[in-house]
Order: sequence, then structure tokens, then C-alpha cells
Amino acid sequence: MSNTVTRIRLAVVAAAASVAVLAGCSSPAPSGDASAASCEPAKGKVTLEYWNTVPGMDQVVALWNKKNPNIQVEMKNISNDQYGTIGNALKAGKAPELAQVGYDELPFLRTQNAFVDASACSAATAVKSKFVPWTWSQSSFGGTGVFAFPQDTGPMALYVRSDIFTKHGLEIPKTWDEYAADAQKLHKADPNLSITFFDPNNAEWFNGLLWQNNAEMYKYSGDKWHVTAASDQSKQVAEYWQKLIDAKLVRTDLAHGSTQMYTAYQKNQIASYVGAAWGYSMFRDNLPKQAGKWSIVPMPTWGSSAASGDWGGSTVAFMKGNTHLYESVKFNSWLNTDPEALALENKLGGLYPAATAGSELPALSQGVEYYNNEKIFDVFAESSKNIDTDFSWGPTQKTVNLALQDAMAKAAAGDGTLNDALSAAQATALKSMKDQSIPAVAGK
Amino acid sequence: MTDIATRANRVVAETGGRRRHYGGGPRAGTIVAFLTPFFLPFVLFYLVPVGYAIWQSFLVVRRTGGQYGTSYTTFGGFEQYAQVFQNTEFWSSIGRIGLFGIVQVPVMLLVALSMALLLDTPLLKIKPFFRITAFMPYAVPGVIAAIMWSYLYSPQVSPLVDVLKGIGLQPDFLGPGAVLWSAANVSTWLWTGYNMLIMYSALQSIPQELYEAAKLDGASNWAIAWKVKVPIIAPSIVLTTVFSIIGTLQLYAEPAVLRQISSNISSTYTPNMLAYAVASGNNYQQAAAISVVIAVITFVLSFGFMRLTSKKAGL
Repeated sequence: MSNTVTRIRLAVVAAAASVAVLAGCSSPAPSGDASAASCEPAKGKVTLEYWNTVPGMDQVVALWNKKNPNIQVEMKNISNDQYGTIGNALKAGKAPELAQVGYDELPFLRTQNAFVDASACSAATAVKSKFVPWTWSQSSFGGTGVFAFPQDTGPMALYVRSDIFTKHGLEIPKTWDEYAADAQKLHKADPNLSITFFDPNNAEWFNGLLWQNNAEMYKYSGDKWHVTAASDQSKQVAEYWQKLIDAKLVRTDLAHGSTQMYTAYQKNQIASYVGAAWGYSMFRDNLPKQAGKWSIVPMPTWGSSAASGDWGGSTVAFMKGNTHLYESVKFNSWLNTDPEALALENKLGGLYPAATAGSELPALSQGVEYYNNEKIFDVFAESSKNIDTDFSWGPTQKTVNLALQDAMAKAAAGDGTLNDALSAAQATALKSMKDQSIPAVAGK
Repeated sequence: MTDIATRANRVVAETGGRRRHYGGGPRAGTIVAFLTPFFLPFVLFYLVPVGYAIWQSFLVVRRTGGQYGTSYTTFGGFEQYAQVFQNTEFWSSIGRIGLFGIVQVPVMLLVALSMALLLDTPLLKIKPFFRITAFMPYAVPGVIAAIMWSYLYSPQVSPLVDVLKGIGLQPDFLGPGAVLWSAANVSTWLWTGYNMLIMYSALQSIPQELYEAAKLDGASNWAIAWKVKVPIIAPSIVLTTVFSIIGTLQLYAEPAVLRQISSNISSTYTPNMLAYAVASGNNYQQAAAISVVIAVITFVLSFGFMRLTSKKAGL
């Protein structure tokens, strides 16, 4: 026993010693946004590091490297833990020059001082007009700097099994009310058939629906964040889906993109899909037998005017410590506006470009065979134009999304409602901001 | 390091340089030389990270300026710990794990012990085959096992569910009440063979003469198993229990994988999942505090169990 005590005492001494050593190196206050970044071209050859999660991006980078011997890009795929990898690299002061960051993670990373403002480069501000407005407003934080270039988006639309709709004599729903009525009809005709599924573990998707209804959850004014996750607009969306769940008109047992989801579609149990532009290839590749049975139409709306939401998409951000802004801007704008690069990214990675030139790409202006040769990308382009540009994400979005998901799952299991989930998101947003010492208040 | 040297000197002094048959007592230099290869990595790869985590848990993030002001960390005392103790999610995850452990650990160890005793009887032929098959699941990484089982649990794709439906049952492995036990089943499947092997190795080292003596005294096989074998391998049963308690408190892979297919597992389902979720929101200091609390609870429970049983098990 005395032996053990000695051992424990030793361990405590050693631990205390290491703590004492580490105490000497608590993190110094990092400097804020490097607004004084310079845009001098480098002399000689430059190598840029670029981290992303896009399939086939290595081939796009190879094309650039072939054309630009003096600006070489090294890429690393970080899809297994995108934000973990980026976060750790930032903590270690070893961030790459450029990294892929989702729109909803931009404010979060900005609070970690992850970016550098590239607006010192005139070329960086000049590309603004080449992107869909809402994407630029998010990556430039409302025009206060240039922190990232938009890469791809996920404008939302409704995927419809036209054969099932025809069989049951349903019109294409223009509004959410019509959609709910269709859900009722379908379920009456065949209890094994649901109009769609509600994945309670998918906050990103749900956020897209809230966005469509102009639910502006975060606003920054007067040196404070104003948080209204449970606004009337949000509640309208939440109550709508709650009704569908309560009436068992939508399935809640399918995770988006899972084998189970595809199986349900395969067995003709589900008649529509509320999805994004990047979903077209998922259906095409996973449900080959249903070729010709799917159509893509605009999202049902809440009012008479067209409005849409976005689900997913990313930017390529200028990361902290980037000393080659001139070259980074050059590569980044080629990557996200050059037709050749966009075509390749669309073909290999299924990206739906954030650049307005995207809609002129041959691949995105022709009919798609799987979808009856319909010009589905016209629907997405139209959807993209109808996305609220004032919407902004919160600085602790990831944490809020997790809490929202947990509460949505409870609601789907009959414990609480989706309105409670919005309240949970509100509470978590305020608490997580407080934890990070970010000034925030509830209300508009 | 010097601490050890002085200690060693004291050892030498206390033993009064008593002559052992191999000459003088160990010299401090020798002790240091032999301990360094162990101590250096131990400090670097074990104590330093642990110390760093403990240090992190005493820090808080502060920020200067408004929306995207610069953040810095500063000493915050027990602020993070106060938050852990106020966090209802944390305590409900501990409760969940407690329930899991109270049921899963005894069941798994009983099955493992029965299997080990069966393997050890002369009645059983082709022992190597059974030994390998029982141990096989342990060779499967936890995540893979969880993915495999998630297919068996999933109503749309599982042959198991189809079979059970065929005989008139309505299984819902992923429902709110069942999903914890579905995860427990994966853990049990993974670890039973491993625990069995530890117990079986202990059984192998019991001298045969004991059994012969017991037989001469008229003991049945049953009596030999429970009155001779089990008490002798008690230390290894305690050991496997301690491992299982530690493993239970650190449960992560199984529920995290099942979460992909069941909405009844929240992101804060187990203490480790909660720590991970908090860290993914970049609140490293809070995550560190949660980890330290988990470690302390694990420490108390496993050592508590050892203290409770050490007399009985003759450790």
C-alpha cells in the first residue's frame, strides 16, 4: 500500500511539474483579422497548400499546376474530419493557405480568427460580380472584407416521383399547404406510401427550410449578436412539419443518404424528396432503376411569391497566416470562376457552382437523361435567384445544429415538439456564445 | 528525476548497505539508468498530455472587441467544472452509462465465465476451434462491429428483422427504449470472447493435482467448477470487471455508429460523445473539464471496485 501511495505521489508531482511547465506557455492573444495583409506578388516559385473534401479535386489541381509552373498548389483531402483538421491546424499555427469551409461554418471559424482578409488584392474584390449574390454576402460577411470565395451551393427544389403522382391523380404542389394535402391523399390511398421523410438528425436540411421562410435567426448590430432561432417564421415551418409527423404522413425513421433511405425509395414507399442541387447525382447513381420516373420542380412556397432556401455548399477560404495572397487569389478565382475548372468540378465532384457562369456550362444547360431529359439545372438556377441574401449563420452554428438535432429527434420520437427544438436551438446559441465570450442577446 | 535519485539514495541508506548475496545494494545511477527508458516516454506521452488536459480545464475563453474580436484564454479557476456539474446533459449521460454498465457488465462476464469453464472441461473436444471462434469478434474493430450490427438492426435491410417478423414478432431495435440495449449487445458481442480468454488462461494455470484431490474428496464437476476453479481465478475476474467498468464509461464507438441510423441516440448520449460534441464546437476547455470529470469517476469506480473485492479475491 505504501508503495502505491509513493507511486501516486510521484505521479502527482510529475503531473504538477508538467502543468507548471505548460503554465508558462498559455496561449498568447492572437492578433485580430490581418487587415493590413499585403498583396505583393512573390518573387520566384510559390507553393500553396489547399485543403478540401471534394472528390476528384486532385485532377482539377493538377490541371492548374500544369498551366502555372510558378504557382504550384499542393492539395490534401480532409473529408474524414474536415473541421477537426482545420481547427487543430489553426491551434497549432499551421493552417494551409486555402481551405474549404461550408457557408454555415464561416462565422464560427471567423470567431476563431481563422481567416485573413484578402481585400488588399484588387483582384479579390473584382470577382464579386461573378458570384450568386447571397454567396458573396456570406463569404464577405456582408461586404466587410473578402475572407473566402464561394465554390458551390445547394439551392433547394422538390424531387417528384411523377409516376406515383400521376397514378394517384395529384397535381404538382405549388404551396406547402397543397403539399400537405397531397400527403394526406397519398397516405389514404396507400398506407405504405409517404410523401417524403423527415430526418430528425439533419439540422442543415431543416435550416434550409427555415431559410426559405426568411427566418433570420442571427443579426449583428450594435456590437452584439441578436438571436431569434424561434421566430414566427421558424415556428411556422416547425409547426407544419410537426403536423405531418403527428399525422404519420412523413417517415421519421430514415437518415438522409443512408442505405435505409435508398431502400425505401427503391421499394416505392416515398413519393418525393425535398433536396438540393447536389442531390441529382445521388438519386441518379443510387436509384438507377428509377430513371425517367423523377422530375425536379421548384420548392413549394409559404406565400404567393417565389422563395427558396439553400442546403449545403462551400467556400474556399483564405486562411490565417497566408503570406501569398496575390497567388492565392489568382488560384482561388480560377478554381471557382473559370469555366474549364467549374466543368471539371461538376463532372468529378458533382459540385453545383456558386459562380453565375455555372449555368452556362454545357453540362448544366442540357437536359439530364435520368430526369427524362428535363433541364433540371434551370430549376436550380431559378431557385438560387430566389434565396434570401440577408440570411446569416451564427458564430456557434455547429453546436446549435447538434442541439437542434437532438431536440428534433426527441420530437420525432414523441417527446416534445419541433417548436421545443427551436427553443433548444435558441438557448444553446446564447449559451455557446457566452462560453466563447461572444456578446449576444435574445430577440431582434 | 532527481527526486528518484534522492529517494534511491535514501533506500540505499535505509537498507544500511546490507550485504545481499550479489554484492552491494543498487546504486542511484543504476536505478536512473534503468528507469529512464520507461520514464521518458511515460512522461512525454502520458503525463504531459494528461497534465495539458487538466491545465486546459482551468482556462476560460475571453474576447476583446465585438463580433469578431480577438479571443484569448485566461485562468478561470473552477469555472469550467461548475459548468460540468450544472450540465444536466452530462449527468443524464452518466446515468445512461450507469444503467448500461449495471446490466451489460455482469451479463457479459457471466457468459464469459461460463464459456471459459466449459472450455476447461474435458467434455469439450476441438477446443482450439471454440477458443478461436469465441475470440474472433475481438479481432473486429469496434466501429466495424457497430456498422455490421447496425445493418442487422435496421428494419429495411436486416435479414434478422425479417426472420423475427416471420415468426410474428415486431422487433424495434432502434426504438427509444431498445437502442441502449442494442448498443450493449454490440459491446457484449465484441468483448465476451476477450474476457473469456483471460479467464481461460487463468484456468489453464491451475495445477491438475487440485482437481484430482477434489475428485478423491468426492466433488462433482459442478462443485469443482464453482468451489475450486472460480475462487482461484477470482483475480482475473476482478481484472476483467475493472476493464469492463473503464470501457463502459468510455463508451463511444457503438452508440456513435448507431446514431447514424437511429434518431434515438443524441449527440450527448454517452459522456465521451458529449465531450466530443463540445470539443467540436471548439470549446476545448469545457471538453477538457468533462474529460477530467469522466476520468475521476472512472478512477473512483474501478478502484472502488478493486478495494471492495480485493480481500475476497485475495489480490
